[in-house]
Amino acid sequence: MNVNQSDTSDALVAQKPVVDYDAIDLEKTHQVSEFKHKFPLTSCRVDPTGKYVVAGAQDLDIQVWDLQTKSNRTLKGHTSWVRSFDFSKDGSRLYSACWGGDIKVWNMADTQPKPIMMIQAHTGSARWVRISPDQKKLATCGNDLLIKIWNVEDGKLLQTFKGHERHVYAVDFHPDGQHLVSQDLMGFIKIWDMKTGKQARSIDATVMTGYDNKFAADMGGARDLQFSPDGSELASAGITKVVNSFAGVQDPIIMLFDWKSGKEKAQLKPEKTFQGIAWGVRYHPDGFLIGAGANRSGKGELWFRKPGEKEFFHTMKLSTAARGLDLLSDGRHLVIAHSDGAVRVYRMTAEAKRPAKSKS
Amino acid sequence: MRRNQGCNHLDHHLARRQFLAGAAGGAVGLGLPGSPATAEKIKGQHKRVLQIYLQGGVSQLESWDPKPGTEHGGPFRAIPTSVPGMHISELLPYTAKQMHLLSIVRSINLKTNDHRQGRLFMEKGRRAGEYPYVGSIASKYLAPANSELPGYIHISTRGLTDSTSAFLGAQHGQLKFEGVKPPKNLAVPKGLDETADARRVQLRDQFNQQFRVGRPKSLTESFDASFQQAAKLMGRKAFFEKAPDPKDLERYGKHDFGRNCLLARALLENDATCVKVTHHGYDSHAENFNFHLEQLGEFDKTFAMLIDDLHERGLLDSTLVMVYSEFGRTPKINVRYGRDHWGSAWSIALGGCGIQPGAVIGKTNEKGTAVADREVDAGHLFHTYLQALGIDSTNDHDIAGRSIPIGDPTAQPIKELLS
Repeated sequence: MNVNQSDTSDALVAQKPVVDYDAIDLEKTHQVSEFKHKFPLTSCRVDPTGKYVVAGAQDLDIQVWDLQTKSNRTLKGHTSWVRSFDFSKDGSRLYSACWGGDIKVWNMADTQPKPIMMIQAHTGSARWVRISPDQKKLATCGNDLLIKIWNVEDGKLLQTFKGHERHVYAVDFHPDGQHLVSQDLMGFIKIWDMKTGKQARSIDATVMTGYDNKFAADMGGARDLQFSPDGSELASAGITKVVNSFAGVQDPIIMLFDWKSGKEKAQLKPEKTFQGIAWGVRYHPDGFLIGAGANRSGKGELWFRKPGEKEFFHTMKLSTAARGLDLLSDGRHLVIAHSDGAVRVYRMTAEAKRPAKSKS
Repeated sequence: MRRNQGCNHLDHHLARRQFLAGAAGGAVGLGLPGSPATAEKIKGQHKRVLQIYLQGGVSQLESWDPKPGTEHGGPFRAIPTSVPGMHISELLPYTAKQMHLLSIVRSINLKTNDHRQGRLFMEKGRRAGEYPYVGSIASKYLAPANSELPGYIHISTRGLTDSTSAFLGAQHGQLKFEGVKPPKNLAVPKGLDETADARRVQLRDQFNQQFRVGRPKSLTESFDASFQQAAKLMGRKAFFEKAPDPKDLERYGKHDFGRNCLLARALLENDATCVKVTHHGYDSHAENFNFHLEQLGEFDKTFAMLIDDLHERGLLDSTLVMVYSEFGRTPKINVRYGRDHWGSAWSIALGGCGIQPGAVIGKTNEKGTAVADREVDAGHLFHTYLQALGIDSTNDHDIAGRSIPIGDPTAQPIKELLS
């Protein structure tokens, strides 16, 4: 009995909560579908129209699943694992980067896409590929310590940026289209001016690297990079507190930086018991931040952070390691590339009630 | 993972006095001169050994036995080498150009996945027992009597010390250099002038005269040899203090491994007998591919330059080159992008003195999960190293009248690998 009913002898009737199944409720995030490949996945990307999800794997192929029909296509042509993708704004072109150093361009309208252009971009791995906001250029980075800018139409090299002294793990265009940001193994973030072709400034992310004393090697690098939609903030996902990286003993971290000042805004970390790597970070259009990672034992987690907060406010356990993260354009779904070969789609709302079965 | 438990932290810092004391202690064992028959066979040819030890277990799939495009192949491709038909990992582009000077054994099955067991088996050619390492055997049977340098030198940036000489006597034990720094206490102690130092030596000789009475000659010989080695090393202090040529450093790389390999080259040129250089950081249970990119990126150019230099300087014909680990790494990639310990089907590279160049011995199956042809273990390899050096590994060590087989009598050399 509640206070409002203290003076009545009427039967108590519980009020039904009004649930808007389309309203974002991060704490009720749940899996809604799954697409399975036979090899562990390495990365994933959703096309901007929300039609396809693509994934790289521990093989030479790219898997493409239609999110509506669930049909699968396999794109063949790379000579090594694919670890990075981007799509043109209209979703018609897919750009993929492989550890062999190549960038391939695919026409997604084709029934069975074949590469329509191949760029031998880097000596050693091409770790990352991103298309410019004006859709005219591609940025790539690789183990030759270079960042390169390519004409998206004909694959001609337009610019080369030199300056990193260790492997460059990720590169992205600032939304203003005039600047590039890149991060290397040692946690040096460099900001490049596209007009002058020179380094404009740098950001210190050296907390994201460590020297493993036991095995005499460095470990670090950005495993994902993303700007906030308004370009005021940069998020980088990776590791920190290296203890024994050869056994995976280090902590995941997502660092946030103020774009203008270059100053650190936050170091977001999961619970201390979760040792591993943060493999993905995304800004949701509503302002909150989503992270994903994998721990030493092969489990995964999703992390959610409200704007301005210093910690994640919600963690969702995943049964297998998360190795890639992306958002659907509807703002209600996210996708994860898992180490068990599955892309899983998660909905960030309450679970819709299934219609009750009629009694007959 | 187990480390060598036979040392304490004091062992990690070789001091002259410890070196001498160790020599004396070792002499109490079974130290004896080498078999005259064996020594006679190799008389007049100073053969050497260069050991490059990739500590932790380099992945055969990322080095000598790539399987690109297969289930466990990983992200790296295979590249052609200077030997037609021979491919190695794309992580070794410089080494690929030197493969006409090297050979690969792709069919090693140690039947152990334990660091210590694997390491000892690879060094001693026996699964168990107190037997000398290859380096100590080289010191015993190959080092010239008038050698200015210790017979077995190990250059490493980390502090593990092995007991390597077993019954051969401490003067054939491994002398550890921590990188390019000279051993500690090489200089005569402060306040002790040359005259006083000479009087100390005289006093020791007097004690030796008394000590020899009623004792086996071998015991005092071992003791004396150690003193002589230490004295020679003291006279070569400047050897370590000389900065490397900037051009060499540019070629080899301005990192510890580059500097260590330059020191190894200098030691071999100055008639060192066995020089071992350890390159750390291959025990990649996580992030195997990024770590192999980093570590082999450092190894590749340096090693290729060293091989090229040894060849150019005419040293390769008399220097056995071994590139080895304690085991390989699992074909299966774990959930941390790592590869774990794998002694069942892995590879090493050999070259130089007595080795047929450009050969590939044995093979693994399509997925790299098992040896498919010409299975060998560390016992076979041990015989092969020694026979390549002209040491009859089927012969016996003559230890105070006791005969101990040099190599495991149940194993044989890989004859087709010998030149």
